[in-house]
Amino acid sequence: MSQHNMIEVKDLHKWFARLHVLRGVSLSIQEGEVVVIAGASGSGKSTLLRCINGLEKIQSGQITVDNISIHASKTNLNKVRQRIGIVFQSYNLFPHMTVLRNITIGPMKVKGMMSTRANERAMNLLKRIGIAEKAQAYPDQLSGGQRQRVAILRALAMEPKVMLFDEPTSALDPEMISEVLDLMRELAKEKMTMIVVSHEMGFAREVADRIAFMADGQIVEIAPPQEFFSHPKDERTRSFIEKVLAV
Amino acid sequence: MTPDLKLEVTGQPREYRALKLALRVLLVSALMAITLAIIYWVLSQNYPFRWRPALQHLDAFNKGLVLTLQVSAVAMILGAALGLLVALARLSPLFFLRDMGTLYVHSLRNIPFLVFILFMYFGVAPAFQSGAAVDLFGWHIDGRLFWGILALSLFEASFISEIFRAGIQSIHPTQMEAARSLGMNYFRAMRYVVLPQAFRVVIPPLTGELIALVKESALLMVISLPELTLTARQQGSQLPFQFEFYTILAAYYLAITLPLAGLSYLLERKFKIGGREEVS
Repeated sequence: MSQHNMIEVKDLHKWFARLHVLRGVSLSIQEGEVVVIAGASGSGKSTLLRCINGLEKIQSGQITVDNISIHASKTNLNKVRQRIGIVFQSYNLFPHMTVLRNITIGPMKVKGMMSTRANERAMNLLKRIGIAEKAQAYPDQLSGGQRQRVAILRALAMEPKVMLFDEPTSALDPEMISEVLDLMRELAKEKMTMIVVSHEMGFAREVADRIAFMADGQIVEIAPPQEFFSHPKDERTRSFIEKVLAV
Repeated sequence: MTPDLKLEVTGQPREYRALKLALRVLLVSALMAITLAIIYWVLSQNYPFRWRPALQHLDAFNKGLVLTLQVSAVAMILGAALGLLVALARLSPLFFLRDMGTLYVHSLRNIPFLVFILFMYFGVAPAFQSGAAVDLFGWHIDGRLFWGILALSLFEASFISEIFRAGIQSIHPTQMEAARSLGMNYFRAMRYVVLPQAFRVVIPPLTGELIALVKESALLMVISLPELTLTARQQGSQLPFQFEFYTILAAYYLAITLPLAGLSYLLERKFKIGGREEVS
């Protein structure tokens, strides 16, 4: 069973000093599946993502991605991370590099790709989102939506098997959100395995295979969108959905 | 795309402000010139200025200048390289590297450079039995030059490392995370992402420190290294125009340090391209 699962999280516990942020999280995600994680701030959503690509150490439990145990001491994190793309809320593009260089630096310096080939692939990615003319611009010359899409391309350029999105639209002006979500929608159609931490419930309803709701460091509910919205089991999920749908 | 849109703080047209600045420079220069002329005139009542014979000795100054430039250039390269290593050590996740770096910085930064030169040349050098000459990989180097450069480099590295450390720490940790998330190891992330951004931040304080290095090289006269200051002093002590000599000496140092300050300004502008991403 577990060899079909792209991401497997088992009884994960995480403490920040004395603060118990993840309290026994388990989650299995199949190849090509899209899971949206919702929940109040401080519920541990972002921390869960950061544990999955090894940015945070864990205190107990197990995480495997593509059958590789992330937190085992013999695991080469630099190698595993090439298969796990992550997109941050605040983009975290490299401000001293052009857009093109932001996208090619990973393939060139980590995978040793020749610059001509890396540039060609990056240009194709930029054409795909329609901002090929911005290749030589610097990140601060782009709009927020463009920056976040470039950040997604930067992760995609490494040809990851899994993409993690940490509130990718939370820092964006409303009119820029859709262009980022459109790109993510396309990725989902191409059967990219994705975990998306987001409050965009419209997107979740349409794109997610399952929606998970986190509260107090646990996944209190995980279900396909239809069921998640119509028959929430947990009281906290119910009140969350009421608030979201009231908007 | 708004790189050309600059907000004028004063709201005055550019030409007007340039004119104001020119007038200000002119006024201050004139005041300085008048003040100096008065001092000069007062002094000349008791002291017969002899610029012409003093300027006959420029050859000696030039020889000292060459050595000062050589010593400073080598010490800058060694000091900056060592400073960077110490800074990285102080930011290392390994506690013994951090502690060793801290020990290095705090012991060297807190003794007078003069004491350190004396310690190195009259204390350490004899212990290596290498006062007069040093053989470095079959390369014959004057002992004063070797120990002088070494003392200057080691001493300045402790200051430069603090500048680098502050610069690296000013780069937001999310940049390191983004780089590591692409699969870069720590050193690649430093090399391609953090250090280039940190370098831009440290240019002004680093140039300040390099200027300090040039000035400190004057103290190497105490181990009779014939750099600029020692040369001026030796020549001048037998001649009756001390005022002229030390004026010329000061001018020589300004001729080295002022261009360095200008270089800082140019570098700062050159590396400004791209700007920074706001961190939320």
